[in-house]
This record gives sequence, structure tokens and C-alpha cells, in this order.
Amino acid sequence: MTNHWIDLKNADVILAMGGNPASNHPISMKWIMRAQEKGAKLICVDPRFSQTAAKADLYAPLRSGTDIAFLGGMIRYILENNLYFKEYIVNYTNASFLVNPDFKGPADLDGLYSGYNEEKRKYDKSSWSFQKDEEGIVLKDPSLEDPNCVFQLLRKQYDRYLPEKVSNITGTPLDKLLEVYKVYGSTGTPDRVGTECYAMGWTQHTVGTQNIRAMAIIQLLLGNVGMPGGGVNALRGESNVQGSTDYGILFHILPGYLPTPNASLVDLATYIDKTTPKTKEKGSLNWWSNRGKYITSYLKAVYGEAATKENDFGYPWLPKLDVGVNASWLMIFDKMLKGDFDGFFAWGQNPACSGANSNKTRVAMTKLKWLVNVNLFDNETASFWRGPGMNPKDIQTEVFMLPCCSFLEKEGSITNSGRMGQWRYKAVDPIGQSMPDGEIINDLYFKVRELYRQEGGANPDPIVNLSWEYGDKDAAGKVKHIDIHAVAKEINGYYLEDVYDNKATPPKLVGKKGDLVGSFALLRDDGSTSSGNWLYCNSYVTKEGKPVNMMARRGKDDPTGLGLFSGWAWTWPVNRRIIYNRASVDLQGQPWDPKRPLLKWDAESKKWLGDVPDGGAPPMGISGGLPFIMKPDGIASIFGPGLAEGPFPEHYEALECPLEVNSMSKQRINPTILIFGDEMDAFFSCDLRYPFVCTTYRVSEHWQTGCMTRHCSWLLEMQPQNFVELSFELAKELGLNNGDTVVVSSGRGEVKAVAMVSERFKPFRIENSTVHQVGLPWHFGWQFPEDGSGYDSANLLTPNVGDANTMIPESKAFMVNVRKA
Amino acid sequence: MANDTSKNRKAILVTPEACIGCRACQVACKSWNQLPAIKTTNNGTYQNPPDLASAAYNIIQYSEVPFKENLVRWLFLSRRCMHCEDAGCVTICPSGALYKTAEGAVAFDRDKCIGCKLCVTACPFDVPRYDGEGKVTKCHLCFDRIANGMDPACVKTCPTGALKYGDRAELIDTAKKEGYTTLYGENDLHGLGSVYAFKEEPKLYGMKENPAIPSSVVFWHNYLKPLSLIGLGGVVAAAAVHYLAIGPHKEKEEEV
Amino acid sequence: MAEMVRKSSVDEVVNHWILAGSCILLGITGFAFLFHLEWVSSLFGGVNTMKEVHNWGGVVFCLSLLYSMRHYLKDAFEYDADDWQWFKVAGGYLSHKVKVPPMGKYNPGQKLYYLAIVVAGIAIALSGFGMWFLKEDASMLLLSHIVHNVAFIIFVIAVPVHIYLGTLANPGTLQIMLTGMMPLNEAKKKHPKWIKAVGKM
Repeated sequence: MTNHWIDLKNADVILAMGGNPASNHPISMKWIMRAQEKGAKLICVDPRFSQTAAKADLYAPLRSGTDIAFLGGMIRYILENNLYFKEYIVNYTNASFLVNPDFKGPADLDGLYSGYNEEKRKYDKSSWSFQKDEEGIVLKDPSLEDPNCVFQLLRKQYDRYLPEKVSNITGTPLDKLLEVYKVYGSTGTPDRVGTECYAMGWTQHTVGTQNIRAMAIIQLLLGNVGMPGGGVNALRGESNVQGSTDYGILFHILPGYLPTPNASLVDLATYIDKTTPKTKEKGSLNWWSNRGKYITSYLKAVYGEAATKENDFGYPWLPKLDVGVNASWLMIFDKMLKGDFDGFFAWGQNPACSGANSNKTRVAMTKLKWLVNVNLFDNETASFWRGPGMNPKDIQTEVFMLPCCSFLEKEGSITNSGRMGQWRYKAVDPIGQSMPDGEIINDLYFKVRELYRQEGGANPDPIVNLSWEYGDKDAAGKVKHIDIHAVAKEINGYYLEDVYDNKATPPKLVGKKGDLVGSFALLRDDGSTSSGNWLYCNSYVTKEGKPVNMMARRGKDDPTGLGLFSGWAWTWPVNRRIIYNRASVDLQGQPWDPKRPLLKWDAESKKWLGDVPDGGAPPMGISGGLPFIMKPDGIASIFGPGLAEGPFPEHYEALECPLEVNSMSKQRINPTILIFGDEMDAFFSCDLRYPFVCTTYRVSEHWQTGCMTRHCSWLLEMQPQNFVELSFELAKELGLNNGDTVVVSSGRGEVKAVAMVSERFKPFRIENSTVHQVGLPWHFGWQFPEDGSGYDSANLLTPNVGDANTMIPESKAFMVNVRKA
Repeated sequence: MANDTSKNRKAILVTPEACIGCRACQVACKSWNQLPAIKTTNNGTYQNPPDLASAAYNIIQYSEVPFKENLVRWLFLSRRCMHCEDAGCVTICPSGALYKTAEGAVAFDRDKCIGCKLCVTACPFDVPRYDGEGKVTKCHLCFDRIANGMDPACVKTCPTGALKYGDRAELIDTAKKEGYTTLYGENDLHGLGSVYAFKEEPKLYGMKENPAIPSSVVFWHNYLKPLSLIGLGGVVAAAAVHYLAIGPHKEKEEEV
Repeated sequence: MAEMVRKSSVDEVVNHWILAGSCILLGITGFAFLFHLEWVSSLFGGVNTMKEVHNWGGVVFCLSLLYSMRHYLKDAFEYDADDWQWFKVAGGYLSHKVKVPPMGKYNPGQKLYYLAIVVAGIAIALSGFGMWFLKEDASMLLLSHIVHNVAFIIFVIAVPVHIYLGTLANPGTLQIMLTGMMPLNEAKKKHPKWIKAVGKM
């Protein structure tokens, strides 16, 4: 979330699209309803009439996978009706930037951008650049009239998104479509703010990243980014998924969103040089120019004393990706199926049910020599060898189960969607032989290190040189038990020596050796500081010589009344509650909306009041300091050349869709996605065998693959079985009654479900034909309940095709059939 | 029968409009009361268990209502004991197992229940259930929690404020000020302890219209019960008067 | 020793006291249920045991009532002119001066009392079993509950009258019900028609 949960109460309009907050993030509704009590409007756009729709002031249905068409139409509506916040976009976004005249967009190239290479399914992005002067500063037209300026290019692209056309694609009734545009478009004035809440309904598409980009553009046009009650808010699907992302769970990032090095970045200097964005824009802080400090401090945290200036702080030991290799989920299981892996740690996950095209995942695991399942329960993954369609005699995979304990049985922090690290305490002791994950890793580490020390192995250095100062050691040098506070402190980082500010005369002591570093602004690139994750620097600090865990704070003051609660726990970065908050004020540093004084420049004390400002420079009008400090150019990108498909989002159909042609252009699907083509990668578009659009979702009562919740009989009581929701019209066509057991099938598999026939689903009118939409949750699995009564996972149906940027699978739009069981 | 005059009467205010159907209340109730899980199946609805049960003191009732504005309306209603001021179950209970607490909750003492099921017949809302051992169970407003100054478990967990607990008069006042035009249970059965705030017709949500205790129970309570005492007292008094005024038969007379 | 005549057989005496005992027990426990008399239920060790006592006491009462029919039912249906006269003088209970007509073994008050007990007894027993065994059916349960309570009122009015008349109001009567024997002289005075019928006059 750019903002945070409580901040939802500050909105005038809340758009719930790509998520179902009422069901999946119930607490969000507390704040959304607070806003509604004050007159805010909740809009729900969803293929089905969800629990959120039930509470919405306005509901608009749309066919799964057509969000960009919907949002593109909104961009057009905002531009056509001059609803955008001009002062904001001129000063705080790249709307005025002049783009290379060679750049061509979908309006010119029938759905493609300039530079497309059909063979490689990739763009040469050289034309997606800005015009610059001799100094390298981008040329701009603050009047926004130059035909090559971002604003005009935006207009050109979305002029094609006529409401009638959009309605024809999305299936949204025209009146509803326009009403949504009107209500949301009303937030372009300084005194009105709109926010957006999304979840996997936006990300799990082949155009997932661009879905969010489209909304980001809308929010920038309306001046809603950085504002209290605004922003683009990812409601994360798991209590600590924000934390896990922050700590580099994804293959392409290290902790703190530092890029994972690849083999071409041969040494630390190259890594820093190649991965640090550069800008000539005056007033841009370009915060990522601190890359060197963060990666060096990270290396010092990882390798400790073994990391020296002489050995590039251990940079050579960091695992490197081969150039161009994508090591995302879908790729891993594709490789696994091809026999490229010997072993697999399934740690706190259940791929047999959570992975798109789970049949492929399940078969892939049969190729493993060994599999370690670290989980609370035995699950469909650990037991894959005895699952449906498996013959245990044919499977050689040796499976180990390491029981870990639940969050209630250990201490530590979790980071919620609002980037808030909150400390939790242990409530009860772990059951049986189960252990906290940290203890399992600890045992594993010392065992592996011992083997490397004894046997050498191919590349022992990265392991034997790890710094592992997490608690008291036994005689053999093994850490007996993980001190979770030691881990938290290492993440924050230490002064490894006395650090002086040499600019002062005499040099002033900034940090004493052994003290915790107070802020990432103080991190160094000379090896004198460490920080396991620069974003979390300031989460555990030294105050008056004593360590203070900022995440354990429980202050309840809210002086602004905006719900910042800055003394409660701790939010990255440096306890900033709303990021990009410098965009919430005008050029003089006064709030755009005096009723929402998130930040305010106090001319007298020359200080910012309110939230922790995004960079401490005085207001832009005084200092020229640009507000979006994380962006190289200091301003927000309406034109975003970083993504694979294009600098603006363009509507493409899902890989599996009911339409032969994309009525927006000749390009039916995302031209840059990777399409697997083996036997187990079956995709069927416009195929009579799979005529219905399907989506998957979650219910309040279950969590993820249900591994934890299906074992909780109270929850199973409320949602005992897999179900598929469909309209009365479709049920009639198929001769189904409510409560019938049916089989839902796709090109990849089939799953049983109970038919839930409902008024909440309605057929769409798309291009003059009727398109039926169905949907089912993905929480179930064959292994528990043991009698199989819950049926199996909906991910047996979903396609293993990923977003072109992130490779997140397209679980939210695919084609199925439904028949009576 | 007691009137709603108690200044200290507490209540749960249910605001279905604010309910999002997350059913945390169902789980919280089970957790606090340590109720066993019910083996259910999906019957083509989110509603599960399908009805109140001995191990389900509260449920969210889901209904789909046609609506021209927004396709359909999906209504969520928290069903539970209404904690009537004039509680038919308490009235008819022969063992004193069902009783009213100082806060106005209709609670039950499992040990006292004789399993007669009269409470089932006397309840206008079809609330009391019997467990496997033939003992009455139902929502008791977490009498054990509220007596110690805590909110009922369901209220404590409700994320949106669809369930609120507090001083009954204040809750009703506030709801009215917030624009809720119909407060179901404000006066029914001398005032319910589960008051429902609506801005529309309660029957849309499936609320029972004009709830009342069965007339035979009222007749029994108002007439038969006193009559049995009056009858006994009258006869004893008459015998005493007879004995004193006329006196017993002497030798020559006969017995009855 | 005065000559005695057997008015009630041994089994009649025994059954009467079973009937009387169970009736009183049921009455007391009934009142305890009706008015939540905890001091009563605590005598039984709690309301659940009291319920068992009430239920099984009801079974005893019921059997005893059925058994009593062989002793009283026939007589209870036979009335003659003297019985009418008896009513006119209210059995002599309102004045010791009136002339009470000659009676058989039982006076009509006793006979009607018995009929009332039989009718109310059957009603209270059936409704009792109804509440016991048909509680899944709400309307049967409610009907039984009402019938049980109406019958109960008949009992709480009739039984104390019977007790009063059988004890304080008619000294010596209790003795008969304890032994089954009454002095012949007295019997001749009080039950001339019966004595005549059994050939002792």
C-alpha cells in the first residue's frame, strides 16, 4: 500500500476493483465504512457481485481480464472532461515530458508500440525515451500541448477507449460504466480524494502489472497519489507477504528491493554502476543513487567480518542469475518437470494446490529425488505421491516433513500491507517437535556448513563465510537458539566502527561502534556500517545507549486526526505512514486540501509538520526539490518505459478468452508474454469445449490453499466444500440446480464443486453475444478433509502463463466448462 | 412480567447494513464457548451451518433480494438469541435453567436444565437448541464476559461495528441519531436485548413481523399458574373456615 | 372391643396410600417446577433428580390410579334418589342440624370426587407422558403443557378437600383408611345401605 489501512477512512471515493476487501480484508471495511459514514462512495467493480459489492454504493460488473479496457476508458473520460488535476500533473508527473518522436503507440501500430520484435516477443525500447537537451535534461512542455509530450500521447492512446467500445469489451452496462467514471473522476479536485484497493484480482493476469499501472496513471491524473485517502493500495493476500517481499522472497530482488545480481555484473563496482539509476534532473534526489551504500551495508550484514574492501565485501559470493534467466515460480516447476532439479524445499507453502496448473506442479514433483516439506501440517505437496492419479510405486521422490510452528508459537515481526512492521510475542510453546522456522534454518545451516567445511564442495565460500551471530554458541560453535532480536537488529544494521562526519571541524562522531544505525541516510558504502535490509534501517535503534525495538511501540496518539498513529509500531521507510507524501502539498508546501493536513511546511521553523516527509528538502517552490524521491527523475511516471509491454497500459485479452478478436486492436493477447508449449501446457481460447469465463478467488473462512484453515474444523464448518458460483441463466442452460455437484474442467484439469446458483452472477453481453462467467475459490485440496469431501484445488484449472513482467500466473481469467457430476 | 424499566439494561445492537458477512462472529462465539464443529456440506449457499444449532449460537443468514439499482442485494443478518425482556423461554422454563442476568441477558444453567424443551415452544424466534445430552443451549450474550466488563465475543471480534454492545438505551439513541429509522426490538416483547437497526423494512432481511410468545404460554402464565396457587390457598382457607365455623362431624355424622 | 367391619380390602388400603403418596409427591414437585422452589428441588438433590422423581412418580400414580378403578369405578357410576337428597343438604357439612339421607358405601361426594380424580388423573397422566415423550412436536408439547396444568388445578383443589374431609372434618376416618376396618355400629349409622347390602343389618 502506498497508504495504510486506517487511511482508507480519509477517502471521498473508494474503488474496490481487483479485490474483495469485505471478504478477504474484513478490517479494511471498518475504515471504508468510516469514510462512507462521512459521505464517501464505495464503488465495486468485479465480475461477481461480491461481499464488497453488497456494501457498495455503486456496483459495476466486468468480464474477468478486461480491467485495462475499463480503466483506459476512465483515463479517456478524465481527459475528455478535464477532470485531471493540472497543477499536480504538470509539476509532480512526467506529463509534460517530451517523448522521442520515433515513439509510436497502439493508436499508430494497431495495438503494438514501436520496437516490437515478434520473434523474440520483446520490445526494443530505445524509442521509448525522452527528448533531452545538451546537458541531458529532459525537454518539457508545461502547457501540455506539444504532440510529443506524455500528456498528449496519453490522450492519443486512450482516445480509442470509447465508452461504447469499452462496454462491449468488458460487458459492463454503459450507464454503470459512465457512473463509475463520473464518481471516480470527481476526485480530481484538490479537496476530493479517491483511493483504490486491489489484490490478486489485478495482479494475476498476463497484464497484471499494467492493470496497476493503469490505475497509477488515473491516480496521478487526479492528483490522488501521496494524498491521505488516496494512493494505489495493494491489499496483500497474507499477513506478512509485504514483509516477505521486502526481504527479497522473489528471485529478482535482494532484501530492500536491491536487484539480484546477474553474471554480467562481475564485481561490486559494476553492479552499483549498472543498477543505479542516473538523472540530470535538477532537484531530483534520485534516492536509488544510494545503491552503493545499501548493497555494501547488506554485504556486511550477510558476511560480517569476512566481507572486506579487498574482497569486494563478499560480492563474489552472492548468488548470481545467468543473464536473461527468469527464475520465477512457473519457470521453476517447468524446469522441475524437465528433471532439472534434484531436490526442493517447500517451505511454508503448498505448491500442489497453490500453483497455477497444479497438475503440472504435481507431476513435476515426481521428478525430484527428494522433497522437504516445512509446514504445520502434512499437505497435498508432502503427500503428492499418494494423490489423485499418482502411483506411489512409480515415484522415487523421498519426502521429508519438518514440522514448523505457527505464528502464535514464536516471537518476531510481521509487516502488514501498510508497510507496518509490528512486533508479536509468543503466546504458547510449540507443540511436539515443531520448531520456529528460524530454529530449523539454524540447524540446517550449521549442518550444511559442517559438510562444506569437511568436504569442500563446489562453492563453499558463500556458506562458510556467512555471518551468523544470532545467539549463544555451544562448544562446537553452533548457535544454540536463534535470538530473534539479534536478527532484527542485524536487519536494522550496526555501526561497525566509530563513524565520523568528516565535513565538520573537528570531525563529529555520528555513530559509535556497536550502536544501531538510526536511519538509512546514515548508511555507508565503505564497510563501516551494516544493514540487512536498508528499508528497515530505523526499525531497531539505539536510544541513550540502549537498543529500542521501534516495531514494538504501542503509542496511540493521532495529532493530525488522519489516523497516522505514528507512535504505533513502525512503518518503512523511516516511519513514513504515507509514501510520496510530498505530493500532498502544493509548491509552497501547504496541503492541497487543508482538511487533510498530512504534511505542512512551517516557514518559521523551516520544518515539515505531520508525517515523516518523503525527503526533508523544503517545498518544491522554495528549494526546487522534487517530490517523488524514489523516482530517478524526481517526479511520478505517467509514461513508464520500464515495463515489458509498453509505457502505457493497453488492453489485451487474457491468453484464454472467449473472443476471437480484440476489438481494441489486432493484437489479441499481450505480445510479450512467454507461452510454454509442452504437453502439460494446454491453452484453449474460443474453444467450444471450454466456453465459460472463469476466475478464482478466496473466501473469508479459508486462507491460501487452506492448509491451515481446512484443519480448523470451525472454519471448515462454514465452508466445507469447493463450490462454483454461476448465474441462474447458465444453470438453466446446463440443467443444474443449486447445490448440485458439478465438474468444472479446463484444458489442464478438472475439479469437483458444488454449484452455487446465484443472482450475483449475470451473463455478460460482449460483442452482441452472451458470455457466461463462473468463479470458484481455490482453498480446497484432496488431502484434507481426509474423506475427500472438500474436493480438490481450483488451481488444477488455472493456466500456467505469467505476466510479462512478473510471471505471476493468470489465475483470474481463463476458460472452463461446467457439467453435472 | 418485568418491564423495560431497568436503567442498566445492556444490549447488542445489530446493524445488518454494516455487516460484511465475514463470519468472524461465528468463529469467535465457537472459540469462547468452546463449541464443537458441526459436520456440514455446502448446500449452494454461503450460509453454514444452515440454521442455529446446539453448537452454533449465532449464524449469518444470507439472502439475495432482487434490486433494480445494483443487480441484486446480498443481505447479511446475524441471527442469535434476542434476549427478550419478556422472554417466553424463561417464563415457561420449569427448572429455572433459563434465567435473566442483571444485564438483561437470557442465560442458562446447563446443570439445571431438565431437557423438557418447553423453551423451544415458547420462543417466538426459534432460538433454543438442545445438545447431544438433551440440555438447552443458545446464545447467552456471553454473560460470563459481560459480567466482568468485557464485550461479548462476537462483538469483540466484529471488524465493522455491525455488532455493538453496551447500554441499551444509549445504543438505541445513537442508532436513531445515525439515521436508522426502524429499531427492531425496541418495544417488541417489552424490548429485545438484541436490537436490530434498519433503514428499511425489517422483513426484507427476513425478520419476523410482530413476534409474540404463543398465546397458550401467555394464558398459562397469566391465568393457570396463579390459579393453581389461588386454588390451593382457597381450598385450604375454606377448610380452615369450615373447621372453625361449622366444625367437624360428630359421631352421628358421616365422612366424605 | 366393638365389632368391626371391613370397609376396604388390604390391597385397597395399600393402593390408596400409594395413590395418595404419589399424588402428594407429584403435587409438591409440580409446585416446585411451577414456581422454581429451589428449597424443594434441593431436597431431591437438584432439579434433574426431582424431574426423575416427578416422571416416575407419575408412572406410579398412573398405575395406582388404574388399579384403584377396580375398587371404586363401579360405585362411582351408581346414583340413587338419596344421593340427590344428599346433595340438597350438602352432605350435612354446612350444618350439623340437617338430616342426611342414608348412604351406601360411598356418598355421592366421594363418588364424584373419584370421577374427578379419574378424569383429571387420566388427563394429567396422558399430558405428562405427552411432555415426556412427544417433546419434539411443539404443538403436542404445548397442548400437553396446558392440559397438564389445567388438570393440576383440579388436583390442587380437589385433593386438599379430600384430605380435610378425610381427616379433620371427620374424625376417625383416617383410621379406616389405615386399617380398612370400621366399627360395625358406626358403619350402620353412616352406611346403612351398604351394611344392609352385605347382610350385616
